[in-house]
Amino acid sequence: METNGNPVVLLVDDEEMVITSVRAFLSLETDYQIEGFTDPERAAAYIKDRPFDVIVSDYLMPKLTGIQLLKRAKDAAPEASRILLTGHADKQSAIDAINDVALFQYIEKPWDNMQLLLAIQGGIERTRLLRDLRDRMAELAAANDSLKDVHRRLIKAFL
Amino acid sequence: MKEDDQIEALRRQLAEEHSMAQLGRLLAGIVHEINTPIGSILSNNQVVLRSLEMLKSDLEQLTGEKQAHARALVASCQSLAQVDKIACERISYIVRGLKSFARADAGEMQWVDLADQIAATLKLVQGQFGRRVKFENEVPATLPRIQCHPGKLNQALLNIIVNGAQAIEGEGRVTISAEPREGRVTIRIQDTGKGIPASARDRILRAGYTTKPPGEGTGLGLAISRQIIEDLHGGALDFISAPDQGTTFIIELPVEQVNRGDERQSSSASRG
Repeated sequence: METNGNPVVLLVDDEEMVITSVRAFLSLETDYQIEGFTDPERAAAYIKDRPFDVIVSDYLMPKLTGIQLLKRAKDAAPEASRILLTGHADKQSAIDAINDVALFQYIEKPWDNMQLLLAIQGGIERTRLLRDLRDRMAELAAANDSLKDVHRRLIKAFL
Repeated sequence: MKEDDQIEALRRQLAEEHSMAQLGRLLAGIVHEINTPIGSILSNNQVVLRSLEMLKSDLEQLTGEKQAHARALVASCQSLAQVDKIACERISYIVRGLKSFARADAGEMQWVDLADQIAATLKLVQGQFGRRVKFENEVPATLPRIQCHPGKLNQALLNIIVNGAQAIEGEGRVTISAEPREGRVTIRIQDTGKGIPASARDRILRAGYTTKPPGEGTGLGLAISRQIIEDLHGGALDFISAPDQGTTFIIELPVEQVNRGDERQSSSASRG
């Protein structure tokens, strides 16, 4: 899945105030397209068929935990960067799950805006590099295939 | 008769530890609940400050009386937002202290920065005694990390610091210092309080002894502290005191818990 133009950042938190605050901050500082969700299931539905660069999710939410949601995000868009933003005092459970979802960053509430912005910027860069790498590898594979084809035809022509 | 006393002391000790564990859980819950709104306010505050800055430069293009009025409004909003920023940072600072203090102990010992733990504990007591008691932190930042149960150790430190502050009538000072030496760390908590009479020396670290009026102390604080320091961490708790000149509690802790913890764990694990 490609995103053309402005980076797409998903914010998922069952507290509306977090989405409002982060959205206001990112809108002021960046030109990202922000998609906010207070219902993690709606975010899960969104990521199934829509492109995005970074997903920032809360940990403790009704219906789906942040880790469950990020696992789905990983399955849907492996290159997109996953960030957990949590106020949970016991972070051990979150840390345990980090490997499952190949978390890009873990940020604790109350968050620092600059730290969050740097994490999101880093995440977007990583996502775009991974996509670029994937495209180049596909190009390389295609070039390799056609080279093989030429090679085969050459051998055929001379033998 | 003596046995009955011991059983009663033990029962009270268990009750006290239970209530400390409950307090820890309560604190952790409060910290969790506060973090989200505080994060939101802090973030909004930054956005408001930035927006006001932009608004101020836009206003340069207006002229006359209107501009003067609008600029005054912006300046007033800016100073209010600046106050909000400081206020929020203070709340955030307290919450971080609570978080460090209330961190539930995992079953295993952890390596922690002792200077951080002491600072977090001091932050908690500062509010309790207001300006009456001055707390001086002379702990060097270079103190080594030590292996311990941080929640329990904080509880022990808190008991001793509060005890020192409570011994002060009127104004006074509690000074905390620490130094490492040969694989151990010595922490000194010195108060300018009324001191401990020599006759009470043997009883002071035992459960059930208190000099405080009913309702102010259970007589368990120091006994629990001693248990945490000596039994749980293999350290030592002692004090020197002179009437009317104050008391210095001396805590010695090993930096590394060599081959212990496991056998001690079984006695504390069930208390959660």
